[in-house]
Amino acid sequence: MTRLLSRKLTQYGLVLALVLVVSFALPRLAPGDPVTYLLGPEEAAALSPADRDRVAGQFGLDAPLPAQFVDYVGGVLSGDLGTSVRYGAPVAEVLLDRLPWTLLLVGGAGLLAAALALWAAVAGARRPGARDTDILGGVLLLSAIPPFFLGMLLLAVVSAELGLLPAYGASSAEGGLLGLDVLERLLLPLVTLTVTTTAVIYLIARTSLLTELSQGYVRFARAKGVGERAILRSHVLRNALLPIVTVFMVSFGDVLGGAVVIETVFAYPGLGSAIYEGVLARDFPLLQGALLLVAVAVIAANALADALYATIDPRVRRTGEVPA
Amino acid sequence: MTARRRALARVGGGVLAALMVVALLAGLLAPHDPSVTAGPSFSSPSLAHPLGTNDVGQDILSELLYGARNSLAIGGLAAAMAVAIATIVGLAAGLGRPLAEAGLMRTADLVLAVPVVPLMVVLGAFFGGGAVTQILVIGGLLWAPAARETRAQALSLRERGPARAAVAMGAGRLHVARWHLLPALVPLAASQFVRAAALAILLEASLSFLGLGDPIAKSWGTMLHFAQVQGAVLTDAWLWWVVPPGLAIATTVLSLALLATALDGRRTAPALGTLATGRPA
Repeated sequence: MTRLLSRKLTQYGLVLALVLVVSFALPRLAPGDPVTYLLGPEEAAALSPADRDRVAGQFGLDAPLPAQFVDYVGGVLSGDLGTSVRYGAPVAEVLLDRLPWTLLLVGGAGLLAAALALWAAVAGARRPGARDTDILGGVLLLSAIPPFFLGMLLLAVVSAELGLLPAYGASSAEGGLLGLDVLERLLLPLVTLTVTTTAVIYLIARTSLLTELSQGYVRFARAKGVGERAILRSHVLRNALLPIVTVFMVSFGDVLGGAVVIETVFAYPGLGSAIYEGVLARDFPLLQGALLLVAVAVIAANALADALYATIDPRVRRTGEVPA
Repeated sequence: MTARRRALARVGGGVLAALMVVALLAGLLAPHDPSVTAGPSFSSPSLAHPLGTNDVGQDILSELLYGARNSLAIGGLAAAMAVAIATIVGLAAGLGRPLAEAGLMRTADLVLAVPVVPLMVVLGAFFGGGAVTQILVIGGLLWAPAARETRAQALSLRERGPARAAVAMGAGRLHVARWHLLPALVPLAASQFVRAAALAILLEASLSFLGLGDPIAKSWGTMLHFAQVQGAVLTDAWLWWVVPPGLAIATTVLSLALLATALDGRRTAPALGTLATGRPA
């Protein structure tokens, strides 16, 4: 257990370090002057060369690189992610304002998708052959549709043509009855992200179920006369759960990636639209901060998955190794 | 290969071939030059402009046809780059000394653990949008899952008769890699390429949709970016401005996925797990 733990911790530490280095290096490596990236292109262009040097000094850009890096990491650790060009506010503040909306969207879609995917995989496993192939084909089709395109279609049909739901934002200015305004604005992005995520989880769940169904203990249970339903529920599903939980947690980064584009379609005020606005406004401190925050979230999800293994699978508790 | 697989491959390959012909002959097929103002802005479909025009009066049908060229080229080149890196890294890890192997595989793990889309967007924003950045960024992130497959395959090939015989006769690692492993890795690389291309086209579309595409040589994703910025979904224009490029992306990705399923005979539900997540199932 401790060996696994230390190996995992090393890996998470390395990912975090890598993201920190990338985030530190980007404004210094990218074409142009770092001052442009810190102040935004317009403000930087208005500076005289002397002012530019003064600003560079203010941000510590004239210090040697290692010292700059230490300074940068220290700042990040104390929660100082710089100042957003677009909002003129600390990046950490802007991002923390956005975070709850993304968590609501990603968490909701993740849970819904897991339930749907498991249901579809079990439905297919119960009738291998025609129905399973139909479900698989349908999921394949869905996974080929770009998430933002699905969002745009829903927006055009449900909001614009039928006028059923509001198109933009996350809540109405006057506030609605019992959070109904939040719910009706959440619905379309949630459906879009759920559809995209379901495909990912379903494919793993299906493979996992089929693998378990071909095991000896299933044949034995059948020989004993256990019904197919009971075999699936109390024998197969429990064993099939481990890879499903893994992919659910590990694909958190992909779901977040999906949220970035989907939030943009619906102008949903989460991290994703912050990143989009950062791209449009060339708000580089905001982009760096968002990247760090997303990386930390993904690492946290992975760590949670590791902790869950031990609860789900006694073998992990005993040996400390995740069985293949 | 079962009859069903053959049928899948035929459909996927046929659609893909048709798309490539369109991409190659875009100059002949397109009624207008997609980069010039060919009519009034925001016109509805007409005989002169079967899919209407966009916000600056460019012909949408012509954009769509030229878009095939840009989307397929970026997806194909990014996938080729990813598979090339994966093959080199996988071979080196499969044949190299333990330390090199551990280093290469930990690097792959590291790349796998990075949130791809946010990182891509941030990299694209810093280095400027456009096709070259997109190819480098997508190719530079997609190789990791494939490299793990290639390494596993190389490890198993290394232990087979011909490779062992060559080693017994004194062949060096490079000779074994070139003459005994590389040829046997071609089928795997082909299926990896198709899967990576499907994923690369989806990722390119997402990046371009967020405004990081080439604004002149528009891909389908870039077309959708401009449609979104101009609020096309809130007017009737979504029918001819949003639906065609979206369907084009979905059709391309689906035909690649079908082809991958057919090429990838070894596993039950293969390509798709990898396709959707970019991770090995």
